[in-house]
Amino acid sequence: MTDTATCPYEDGRIVVDFDQHSPDYQANMAERSHELRGKCPVTWSEYHGGYWVVTALDEVSAMYKRPDLFSAVKDTVDPEGMFRGIQIPDTQPQVTAGFLEMDPPVQLDFRRVLNPYLSPAAMEKWEPLIRDFTHACIDDVIESGRFDFVDDLVNIVPAILTMAMLGLPLSSWEVYCEPTHAMVYTPPDSPDLPRVQQMGLNMVMDLMGAVAAARDNPRPGIIKALLDAEVNGEPLDDAGIIGTVFLVIGGGFDTTTAFTSSVWRWLAEHPDQKARLLADHALLDSATEEFLRYFSPSQGDARTVTQDCEVAGYKFSKGDRVLLSFAMPNRDPKYFPEPDTVQLDRFPNRHAAFGLGNHRCIGSNIARMQFKTIMWEALQRIPDYAIDYDGTERYATIGVINGNKHMPTVFEPGARRGPGLAETMILWQARLDDEAETEAAAAAGS
Amino acid sequence: MRVHVDEDICQGHTLCAMAAPDVFGLRDEDGHSYVIVTEFTTEVIESAKRAALTCPEQAIVVED
Repeated sequence: MTDTATCPYEDGRIVVDFDQHSPDYQANMAERSHELRGKCPVTWSEYHGGYWVVTALDEVSAMYKRPDLFSAVKDTVDPEGMFRGIQIPDTQPQVTAGFLEMDPPVQLDFRRVLNPYLSPAAMEKWEPLIRDFTHACIDDVIESGRFDFVDDLVNIVPAILTMAMLGLPLSSWEVYCEPTHAMVYTPPDSPDLPRVQQMGLNMVMDLMGAVAAARDNPRPGIIKALLDAEVNGEPLDDAGIIGTVFLVIGGGFDTTTAFTSSVWRWLAEHPDQKARLLADHALLDSATEEFLRYFSPSQGDARTVTQDCEVAGYKFSKGDRVLLSFAMPNRDPKYFPEPDTVQLDRFPNRHAAFGLGNHRCIGSNIARMQFKTIMWEALQRIPDYAIDYDGTERYATIGVINGNKHMPTVFEPGARRGPGLAETMILWQARLDDEAETEAAAAAGS
Repeated sequence: MRVHVDEDICQGHTLCAMAAPDVFGLRDEDGHSYVIVTEFTTEVIESAKRAALTCPEQAIVVED
């Protein structure tokens, strides 16, 4: 069957030895991408119960545009049910990623509530917070000449920002930090998985408490917006709200951390390109898109086929699981000449790093702004540095997120400029508390 | 000559507004794109065509 299968296939399927959670994929994503696409844009992997792997941009785009045929839904009521959500395999059958694991029109109800908090227009408000916390983290380490770019900076800033946007106490970022990262970097065959699954469940329980507290004492932010929202006169469903907060934390904490640390390492290894970027701030916009394409912090999502169908010339059966990659189409030479080379001024660059279709990363605007701010400010403070590879650790699986657990960095010590993390947290919490009070007073008076 | 953004296809990637800020704006509520010009000069058309190449959803329609 394998040898005679044609592409697009009539019968049979082109079977590939492919698992996005394997160490081989982690080390050789680009090669696997070209190998699979060379065989056929749609191939079949026997791992994890069997699934299609889609690696070319035209086909991935066509499929992401048909949520009626390729469903993101996860069935948490029946863990044996057909709809298993956006991860292959589904290692957390009782936990959903909120509206990322819903289809329209319900998905769009949630999205509409969050959009105003995440649109380009809403970003301006948060830039000073990102800048202040970036400098605070650096001020805590600048005199020592050594820090861990992940643990001491990019695990912290995006997490604190996410707490602020949700309307949760800034200091609670630490409660969610380890579970959030562990859920994406733990391979499905790891002996540690049961512990991590338990951490995920505990986090959902914590969030239920936090949302209940927000009901009694609402503070401005995304949680309040979700609680206040009405669709056709009805409030949003409770499980959907918890799932959405879980999603905002997952998306807010881990992806920006992964992306920023990948670029930090790349710039250390390409000092000429780092110098070019530092000399030309205007280059940062196209460079950001190119880094997004090249590293694809979120590597791709899965779907479940809802009915027998044919899309882009490929036949699917009801219940089939499909991995619609972002990372591999981002190396499609049809749209990206020299796809494995970083070109800081690449144009056009219609990359799929934020996904495609109705699930386009709702945090893309904050992610871009945050990346640019942290990276630029960090490079101003620490323009020359070296990665300590002995302590550097990439995620064991990059099947979900292409990230780094640790990235020790050494540099010439410099001078402190301002308050460190603890003091900055107190200052910003007070500022946000004042804003909340002013808003509540205005609401009471109106 | 005319340029428009297909609202059913645009998902708010914002790349058009980065490539051609003179032609495309982003809605406050969701960051989806719309055309901000009313006169479709040759420069506008060329700028829009260039932006269309970089749209991940291929939502920009240029009629010339």
